[in-house]
Amino acid sequence: MADERRVVVTGVGLLTAVGTGREATWQALLAGTNGIRPITLIDPSDLPAKVAGEVQGFDPSVAIERKEARRMDRFTQLAVVASGEALEQSGLDVAAEADEIGCMIGAGIGGMSTLEEEFKVLFEKGPSRVSPFLVPMFIADMAAGQTSIRYGLRGPNFNTMSACASGADALGTALEVIKRGDAIAMVAGGAEASVTRMSVAAFAASRALSRNEDAETASRPFDLNRDGFVLGEGAGILVIEEREHAIARGATILAEFASYGQSADAFHVTQPSENGEGAARAMNMALRKAGIVAADVDYINAHGTSTPMNDKFETMSIKNVFGEAAYTIPVSSTKSMVGHTLGAAGGVEAAVTVLSLRDQKIHGTFHLVTPDPDCDLDFVTEGARTLPLEYAMSNSLGFGGHNSSLVFKRAE
Amino acid sequence: MTRVVVTGIGLITPVGNDTATTWDALVAGRSGIGPITHFDTAAYECPIAGEVRDFDPTDFVDAKILRRLDRSSVFALAGAQQAIADAGLDMTHENAKRVGVVLGTGMGGAQMIVEQNEVLEDKGPRRVSPFMTSHMLPDTPTGLIAIAIGARGPNFGISAACATGGATTGEAAEIIRSGRADVMITGGFEAPLTPIYYAGFHAMKALAVADDPTKAVRPFDANRSGFILGEGAGIMVLESLEHAQARGARIYAEWLGAASTNDAYDMVAAAEDGHGVADAMREAMSEAGIGPADLDYINAHGTGTALNDRVETHAIREVFMEDADRLMVSSTKSMIGHMMGAAGAVEAAITALVCHHGVVPPTINYETPDPDCDLDYVPNEARVSPVRRAMSTSVGLGGHNSAIIFGKWNGA
Repeated sequence: MADERRVVVTGVGLLTAVGTGREATWQALLAGTNGIRPITLIDPSDLPAKVAGEVQGFDPSVAIERKEARRMDRFTQLAVVASGEALEQSGLDVAAEADEIGCMIGAGIGGMSTLEEEFKVLFEKGPSRVSPFLVPMFIADMAAGQTSIRYGLRGPNFNTMSACASGADALGTALEVIKRGDAIAMVAGGAEASVTRMSVAAFAASRALSRNEDAETASRPFDLNRDGFVLGEGAGILVIEEREHAIARGATILAEFASYGQSADAFHVTQPSENGEGAARAMNMALRKAGIVAADVDYINAHGTSTPMNDKFETMSIKNVFGEAAYTIPVSSTKSMVGHTLGAAGGVEAAVTVLSLRDQKIHGTFHLVTPDPDCDLDFVTEGARTLPLEYAMSNSLGFGGHNSSLVFKRAE
Repeated sequence: MTRVVVTGIGLITPVGNDTATTWDALVAGRSGIGPITHFDTAAYECPIAGEVRDFDPTDFVDAKILRRLDRSSVFALAGAQQAIADAGLDMTHENAKRVGVVLGTGMGGAQMIVEQNEVLEDKGPRRVSPFMTSHMLPDTPTGLIAIAIGARGPNFGISAACATGGATTGEAAEIIRSGRADVMITGGFEAPLTPIYYAGFHAMKALAVADDPTKAVRPFDANRSGFILGEGAGIMVLESLEHAQARGARIYAEWLGAASTNDAYDMVAAAEDGHGVADAMREAMSEAGIGPADLDYINAHGTGTALNDRVETHAIREVFMEDADRLMVSSTKSMIGHMMGAAGAVEAAITALVCHHGVVPPTINYETPDPDCDLDYVPNEARVSPVRRAMSTSVGLGGHNSAIIFGKWNGA
């Protein structure tokens, strides 16, 4: 029966505001490094937000030929490079099993900056000057498409979109693809290049963005004085693989990918549903499918965006699921250091959760100075902690009322 | 194994604003391609497209909400409303957690990005709409539909360029098969007829040119010159057989299998040997447990470009061997154009209707045979013929391929 297949993580690739690469990001997170800095990718002078989590010194040429890179939006470049790091770590022989290895990379929007640039061309120079690469650079599936082309991944391939839960849903869907026997391994996660004029203006207009111009305090999940999230960019990609296959080829298993739960609030486009019940249903589904109970979970990597609503309702949903145990399970927000990477967030945070299980260490929630009575869990404010971890959960919640919960288990 | 059936269909296409009108037009071989009226086209050589005509959004969406919606979202909501009514699904009696929504799109509400970009450039960041971020996302309609009907099950969007609809429908069926939901509202939507996209496609030089718009799309004909953009939505209600029978639902067809693959070759051109789409067809048949002799009809991707139609024909020959000559193969894009992310979903729905009615819509504008395209394309006239099983194939930019198979429902 297909359901009996177990899936493990054998590769991780990360590009974030605190590190260009997996180990660099992970060590920076453990050290409590702040990746939020003044915006440099665009001129922010007339924009309502001045800080963001940009990937520093990103050089696509480490994995992509210069000519090819010019035909990829930045979100695709981030995805291709992070996928390369994950594949390299996994040691998979892609060429030998190309048809059995697929790719699913979530993105919230796609090539926003390409669209903005070409819109200017259309406006200023007319339609005949618009790039023939506009369409293939903008569409959100191109991260998965280009990654498959770059590395020769010929199995199931598409992109999932669920706003800020996109990366998590890509991973969850990829897990199901392996479980049902449609692939032996999947390259999956999320990527987003969100620092564009339009993204900043629009998220600010929807009042989701922090107006705080101080890079040192702007992103402060669960803090009483939080006033919105800070945009971040990056990519978080996992190589996940059928367990027997990984064992047979002697791969190093970083963690087991135990389960995926998903739900819709069916309530409001931007606000969470009452008591965070939608997110709670996703977590409960993930627990049930992992065959564990709430008390088995040793760490939660929260969605923790730093918006007043999210953090309050997410705290409620955790209490809703975990009851009294909620107060003893450490919960931290990666976004406190790298910002909100939107469609990439689920991928980045799943990657962080896997590394937590690998090293039996969790990073802290940065910038949490003034406790909020509505957010009264153990947010690991003192910094990184070493502790025995058997199961860890990563949660993602998106505009539109999408909720996704991933459970990972320590490698046996 | 849970069996999955189609119980509701909603179609908004260039040949009709509901399923019955669309189906009748397709069987009559009527083209929906005409001059573009949505925007000023003075700068283009041959500005024609498949526009949805005489469509009154207020028939489906409250005027207050309508102002916030991208045209593509309106199509999705209208199609979903029709499909749900057609299925006779009564949400007040449903377990809301067991009803999900998974829709696909190539570009989502990108027109809204363009409009707001104009606001950003002309009036500054503070005038950008607060509804922009929540309402331009590719997954916005999945959230809106969940909210409108109270569907609290799995909910996200999928993107795989022109293969989106096939990938989406397949994934929705897998969600039911794996027991994560009883009912899925699934399909695709697209509104690509905006200046920026039109300019982008125009720059790719892939669009057909013709004096008579109704003769512009000529799939498999020796004189074909490209594809023509179309807009609209195709939404289906899929449900488990058990669930459908328990509520006495009318069944259009049984979903038998689906597959998604990637060429891993080029981001625009299909691989010349068609291996990616051939693999998708083979895998879908293997999942359905059938062989070449068991299939009677293929609704082809058949875009009308020189490369696609040749490659697709080659792939069908390779997969079906001697059965290829017996197969009926038609391209409904000859009438409705290429609806991008909606195409695969609309064509999947048409394929289910072919099984239901035992009538095959033709490939219109087929006049001059091409030696490289030598199958039975059901030229110009619909054919009454019992169809036991039928397949819909899609091929996308980025190398995505999908195939989905339906079977005639015989009551058991």
